[in-house]
Order: sequence, then structure tokens, then C-alpha cells
Amino acid sequence: MTPAGHRRILSHACAWGLISLGLMVWSLFDPRPLPVIGAMSIGQVFGTISLASFLYVVVSDLRPGLKKALDEAGVSKRPLP
Amino acid sequence: MHFDHSPLTLLALGCAAASAIILVGYLVLRPRLGAVTKVWLAFGLGVLPLVTAFAGNVQGFEATKKREFCGSCHVMIPHASDSDDPASTSLSSRHARNKFFGEVNCYACHADYGMFGTVITKLGGMRHVWLYYSEYRDTPLDEAKKAIHLLRPYPNDNCMQCHSTHAALWDRQPDHKSSLEDVRAGRVSCASAGCHGYAHPNFRPPEPAAHAELRP
Repeated sequence: MTPAGHRRILSHACAWGLISLGLMVWSLFDPRPLPVIGAMSIGQVFGTISLASFLYVVVSDLRPGLKKALDEAGVSKRPLP
Repeated sequence: MHFDHSPLTLLALGCAAASAIILVGYLVLRPRLGAVTKVWLAFGLGVLPLVTAFAGNVQGFEATKKREFCGSCHVMIPHASDSDDPASTSLSSRHARNKFFGEVNCYACHADYGMFGTVITKLGGMRHVWLYYSEYRDTPLDEAKKAIHLLRPYPNDNCMQCHSTHAALWDRQPDHKSSLEDVRAGRVSCASAGCHGYAHPNFRPPEPAAHAELRP
């Protein structure tokens, strides 16, 4: 994926993260059934999506370097036992 | 409902604010996607929201135990108001005046105390929320008082979490002594008209076929 693609994913991740933070903060200021349940369900899902998106970008960035390092070490060319 | 100034709430708010600053900063400034930016984002999208979620969840669970939370649905206002009334002599109100668990008296008396009691109680609470928003949200209070009743008979086990029936003082009461086995077996309800009275002024006992019905 291109750097522009990563930027787009991270922008979306930030937006999801801000929504989840908003839901959690709302439940702290207004601890009634709907805000509390919303924070514990929708808020958690959005927060997890944003973190997973960030981790995806980090792993995607690391993959070429890791592959190159493995190639240089000859790990990927070694025959399987 | 009022804002809780506990350390956990403040921690959650602090972490949420710090996280929001990082995320908004990223969206506005659009910095180069280098290692430093990723470390900042690791805090903004990972560490700080996780702390917020943990502290917020603990606070959320604590909030769900409070009478104020139960009374926030209008159909529960009569019960919550009765508990708040210092002049009331109902069982629920007398328990609400206990300094050890007064503000969480709904949870203290209605929670299931088994091994998975907390989970079962929370699932039951979710059912209540679902029924409220799907059926009773627009029901006038007078109508709700007639329609809403206990799902199943109130278990003496819940009373016996505190009133063990093994204390000498408890046993000294002639009525307790004569009904000891029936109370322990649940054949006689502590919260019945002949004993300590119904827990709430608007109490409605379970319907005969209530076990098969979905009612709060």
C-alpha cells in the first residue's frame, strides 16, 4: 500500500478513535443506561477498529524491511526441512 | 445524574483529553509519517485510549450499581423515590439508609450472588434496558405501575447473604425459629405480607405464568 493509503487509513483511525473517546467521556459525565452501554459496546468497537487500523499500517510499513532483512540473511531461500 | 469525581474518572478524562489532543493534532497538522509520528499515534490510538477504556469501564460498572442509575428509567422512579424518602418504612428504604451500601441498595438486594452472579445480574439488567426501550419507554407511570412486576419470586438467598439465619439474635425471634427451615428452603418469603412486608410500596408479585413470560 502507498504512503497516501496509509495516511488515509490513519486519518480514519483517528476519526474512529475520537468517536470512541467521545462515547466514553459522555458515559462518564452522564452515567445513564444508554451512554454507559454505548460506551461499553460501540465505543469499544470503534476504539478497537482504530487501534487495529494503526497496527495494520505499522505492520505494513515494517514488512518490506523485514522481508529484505530475511532475504539478506538467506532465511527465505533456505530449503524447508 | 451527577458527575463522579473519583480518581478513576479523572484518570479516564485525562487520558481521553491527551489522546484527543494527539489525534486532532495529527488530523490538523498532517505531519510526515515517520517513526516519531508513529510513536505519538501509538499513544493516541493505543495506550491512552486503552487506559481510558479500562478506567471508564470500571466507572461504568460502578455507576450501574447505583440507585440513581436504576431510577433514571421513569418506570423505576417510584421505587427509587421511596428509597430516597427518609420517612419511608418500606424494606427497600430501610436498606437504603444503611451507611455501608445505602446508595447501591437496588444492586445489593437484586444482584445474583452465585459464582457468575455479576455476569448474570448484568445480563438481567441488559434485558431490563431492552424491555424499557422496546416496550415501556412511552408507558405512563400509572400504567407502568400496573404492568411491571417481578419476573420470579424474590429469592430468600439474596436476603441470607447478609441475614445468614445462623445468628443467635436472629434465631431468638419466635417467628424466625418456627419458620427456619421454610425460610432457608425458600418456601416462605422474607419479603411477604405476613413477614417483613413487600420491599416496595408499589410491589407487584410475579404473575402465575410469569416464568414463561418476558417481563421485568
